[in-house]
Parts: sequence; structure tokens; C-alpha cells
Amino acid sequence: MASLDDELRSALRRREPSPDFTERVMARVASTPARPGRRLPQPWVRWVASMAAALLLTAGGLEYRNYQGERAKSQVLLAMRIAGGKLNKAQRKVQMATHRGNS
Amino acid sequence: MKPAGFLIATLLLAGAAPAQQVKWNFDKLAARASDSVDVSLDGALLQLGAKFLSDDDKDQAKVKKLVAGLKGIYIKTFEFKKPGEYSAADLESFRAPLHPPDWQRIVGTHSNEDGETVEVYIKNDSKGIGGLAIIASEPKELTLVNIVGAVDLDSLSDLGKHFNFPEVEVEKKK
Repeated sequence: MASLDDELRSALRRREPSPDFTERVMARVASTPARPGRRLPQPWVRWVASMAAALLLTAGGLEYRNYQGERAKSQVLLAMRIAGGKLNKAQRKVQMATHRGNS
Repeated sequence: MKPAGFLIATLLLAGAAPAQQVKWNFDKLAARASDSVDVSLDGALLQLGAKFLSDDDKDQAKVKKLVAGLKGIYIKTFEFKKPGEYSAADLESFRAPLHPPDWQRIVGTHSNEDGETVEVYIKNDSKGIGGLAIIASEPKELTLVNIVGAVDLDSLSDLGKHFNFPEVEVEKKK
């Protein structure tokens, strides 16, 4: 048991690196080719993509505005139909009463 | 601030204050109604809708002109399955905000034939008519109209004579 402990202690004992360790590591780093990074698309591709996105946003905005406008228009016409109808009905009754009163 | 200055400032603020819609509470009736129509157009929506009205169509052109002076249109119509779903007290609650000196009842009609009563109120402001309110009640229907702004009553009534506004055009594109 004691010999196993000694063996382990011996195997795991701290060892100083060789004097040229740092040099060797740095040389290895310098010799390793850099891994190529992700390339950005060409400038014209980016420009076209931005323009397409801007166009889509504008078209969507216009379409929504158009939808809102048509909706508001229908509400205005409905409002006029109801309000005008009721007012006209009252006006006609008043006219009829006036006419009857005169005759 | 001196009293005279305060008075002038108050009058100026009152003149600059935006015309407001009538505060009606519809909660009770909404629960009893079988069907309802709700039109709520503030100034911005009204002007947007007016832009989409055709100048070539005679009636739409008239509406466009009429709407130009308005700041809001608010309409609520309730339909009921049977008569008696709303009470005289309900009607009174709608009349309550339409009191003098701001509001004046100009017409009140009742028909025994169909049981319809129409009351027309106008709001007076410094420039003339500043608003319109209509309470139209039938046994199974109640309509409340509030138009905010300078409304031309003759033009509105004239528009009401003939309802040939295209109904299907609602969701169609121009």
C-alpha cells in the first residue's frame, strides 16, 4: 500500500518544464495556419438585400394604410347613412306636421 | 395673476379647448341588445376616411365636404329581440348630458305608427353649431348619434334622403 502511495506521489509530483518550452509553444502557434473566418457577402449583395427589405416594409406600410383608409371610409359612409337617415326622418315629420297645420 | 387677466386666460382656454364627444354609458344596454352597430371615428380617422372618398361620386363628394368640418363621429345602434328591453330611465340617462346652455333640443318627433321617437340636439359654440346629438328610439331599436364639430344639418339631412352609398365597396380597394 505504501509503495502504491509512493508511486503515485512520484508520478504526480510537480515537474518544471524544459527551458525551451515557451519557445516551442510559440513556434507551434506561429506555424499553425489561421482557420478562415466567415466571409461577409459582397457589398452589392448587402445593398440589394437592404433595398428589398426597405421596399417590402414600405409596401406593407402602404397596404396597411390603404386598408385603414378603406375601413375608415366605410365607417364614414355608414355613419352618414345612419345619422342622415335619422335627421331626415325627423325633418320630414316636422315638415308634415307644419304642412298639416297650415292646411 | 390679476382677476381680469385670469378671466381672459380662462376664456381663451375655453375657446381653444377641443370639442368633446358626449359621455354616454352603454354598458347596460350592450348586455341586453341582441345586435349592435358601433361607429367610432375620431378626427384623424375621419380625415383618413375622407381622403378615400371619391370626388367623382356625387354623394361621396357631398360626404367629403360635410366631413371636412368635423372632429368626430360616434354612433351606437342597439337592436333588441323584443320591445321593452330598455326603459325610460335608460333614455333619460342619455338625455342627461345634453342639457342647456351647451345643448339645445331643436326637434322632437314621435310616430304612433311605428312608435319611433327622434330627438335632435345641437351644441352651440361661438361659431354656430359645434355638435349634433340624436337619440332615436323604436320599440326594438335604439340609436345614439354624436357628431362633434361644425355640422351642416341641411347637407346631412339631404344625404339621409337617399341611401345609395355603395355598401359592398366597404372592403374593396379603389
